[in-house]
Amino acid sequence: MDNIICVDGVSKSFAKHKALDNVSLNVRRGCVYGLLGPNGAGKTTLIRTINHITAPDTGTILFNGHPLTAADTASIGYLPEERGLYKKMKVGDQALFFARLKGLDKAEATKQLKSWFERLEISDWWNKKVEELSKGMAQKVQFIVTVLHRPELLIFDEPFSGFDPINANVLKREILKLRDEGATVIFSTHNMASVEELCDEITLINRSHNILSGPVRELRRQFSDNSYEFTFTGDALALRDALAATTVSFENTEPDRQGQDRAILRLKDAAALPHAIAAANAAVRLEGFRAILPSMDDIFIKTVEASNLNTPVLQ
Amino acid sequence: MNSPLAIVIRREYLERVQRKSFIISTLLMPIFMIGLMLTPALVAVFSGPENKTVAIVDQSQQQIGRHLQSDGELRFLCVDSDQKSAMADKSYDAVLVIGPDAVSRPDDIRFYSHEAASMQTERSISSQLESIIEGERLKGYDIENLAGILKEIQVNVDLDTYRISEGDDASETSSLASYIVGMFMSLMLYMFIMLYGQMVMTSIIEEKNNRVLEIVVSSVNPTSLMMGKIVGIGLVAITQILIWGVLLTACSMWVLPLVAGAAESGAGIDLGMYGSPAYIMQLFAYILLFLIGGYLFYSSIYAAVGSAVDNIQDASQLQSVAIIPIILGMVISMAVVQTPSSSLAMWASIIPFTSPMVMIARIPFGIPAWQIWLSVVLLYASFVGMVWVAAKIYRVGIFMYGKKPSVAELLRWARYK
Repeated sequence: MDNIICVDGVSKSFAKHKALDNVSLNVRRGCVYGLLGPNGAGKTTLIRTINHITAPDTGTILFNGHPLTAADTASIGYLPEERGLYKKMKVGDQALFFARLKGLDKAEATKQLKSWFERLEISDWWNKKVEELSKGMAQKVQFIVTVLHRPELLIFDEPFSGFDPINANVLKREILKLRDEGATVIFSTHNMASVEELCDEITLINRSHNILSGPVRELRRQFSDNSYEFTFTGDALALRDALAATTVSFENTEPDRQGQDRAILRLKDAAALPHAIAAANAAVRLEGFRAILPSMDDIFIKTVEASNLNTPVLQ
Repeated sequence: MNSPLAIVIRREYLERVQRKSFIISTLLMPIFMIGLMLTPALVAVFSGPENKTVAIVDQSQQQIGRHLQSDGELRFLCVDSDQKSAMADKSYDAVLVIGPDAVSRPDDIRFYSHEAASMQTERSISSQLESIIEGERLKGYDIENLAGILKEIQVNVDLDTYRISEGDDASETSSLASYIVGMFMSLMLYMFIMLYGQMVMTSIIEEKNNRVLEIVVSSVNPTSLMMGKIVGIGLVAITQILIWGVLLTACSMWVLPLVAGAAESGAGIDLGMYGSPAYIMQLFAYILLFLIGGYLFYSSIYAAVGSAVDNIQDASQLQSVAIIPIILGMVISMAVVQTPSSSLAMWASIIPFTSPMVMIARIPFGIPAWQIWLSVVLLYASFVGMVWVAAKIYRVGIFMYGKKPSVAELLRWARYK
């Protein structure tokens, strides 16, 4: 397995607070990896340890198979959640400063920056001072600064906050493009819709612990409560009676736009599906069926609540 | 020159030196300083003499009152009227009442004034009266040719001070000039360390407040960032000092000979070696040495303080850790210029917290070289130690938001892994 990041048993404590407790996770090269969790769960601390900003108390972090060193930060691009720029500095100078800190020489950095500025349509900001920019504008500059040195690993902490939908889409497009070009993306957010849309795998952190890890598709299947949508032509009541033996619940909903009748039903278990289909076929003309997978929102809330109940509230 | 440290230093330096405010303050400061130094002289020139009329009610047998000499400020007038009517007369500013037995009992002389008499007026009258009464008393001994004898024994000593130095020739100095130069240099160091130390602190707070810090530390390790800031801002201070140094050297070559001439003939101040550009350059080198050491030492304290707080308001209390010793150094150096060789002076000029200010105040008086070098070595060594501690605090502090920490908490952060 080709992992760009292996976090193994990492713990980190501050004065009276354990921010990370024996957290492990692996990030596969080339994927978009979601890091989820409630506020204060320890995500930012984890991201900082991956960025070599803070050192873990115990545990190891491997980057491309070797222990993470300061030199590796040149291969990482990090867009923090709390982000700012030097207010009095000109946009261009500032972008150059950050690019050079990542090891790019001046000529190369200037060339790359100009092309990025054109790509995001902000070329006329080059000589403006940052204090003249709006928040969204400043964030575009920060995004460019993060990705300019073509890092292997990109870490975005709430990248879309503060962006209008149009710019958020531009950003999403650019992130996916970077992934297609070979970059790995770690992505921390509270926006579950964007997790479903972008992430291949996730880890859910709650109260300093890793409580759930895995590929998004698998997780959604695992958390499935065997809900299905049947579309059919015929008598809904007959269908309900026919399915009574195999379902826990049955709900006849509004017809869809084509005027097709629909029913949402929950099976007793996954094995009941063939029986349900046979029974439905006998009662009505079954036009189609599809599994209804739980949303990441549901999984998030369910897992976090369960984990909170198991762990008695400290203090 | 492409290490992250060098890039941070470059940014910190250019950001400040290119600002208009830096250029203006660098050029205006000397003018302001000269103005500040000239103010007392100007005040003296323009305020002029007091011009008071003093009525003398003389009841003494020897009539000593008539010997009082009027000068530019005081005009003495012997009056026949009694004390009461003289005091009632508004045309007199003051009334001097000399008792009948003033020669044998000098405390029988009283001075009444409508307004508070200045110390100078009082001193001038009493010193005149002292010599008059002395003369009257001497007369009582009936010595022949008294005036001649007195003239013969009169002497006026004008001490020429020389400093014994290692070389063969003793160089001429003047304590007064050393006093002024020492005080001035100490004040300058105080100002610079305070100003630029606080600049380091505010710049760190600003970065933290701005949240630009998190982006920067993902490319530079926190210690390099802190060092880059301290060095970059320090270079700004040195640039400013060098500009002033050039101005001062030019000034000492063209203007000083004129001033020195005027000072020697006019005020009777002997500038001694302060008239020599070579000596000024030497002093200048010492200033740089102690300025850099003192700045580095204190700016690392300021950096630790700046990293620990969220805004300037919170910093005010915590930064007393730096301010108190700096002010203490300044206060001690004020005492030190009076007694440059006391043991307080020696210890305060060697212990790193106060040493930059105190040592620079002592140097013009000429002190053993080993003391200077011991002080320098200790200062730079403790800077290294202080930076090490500050870096540890800084590394933790920059990610701490919210509650304002105490000094004890800062020290605990320094122990984190």
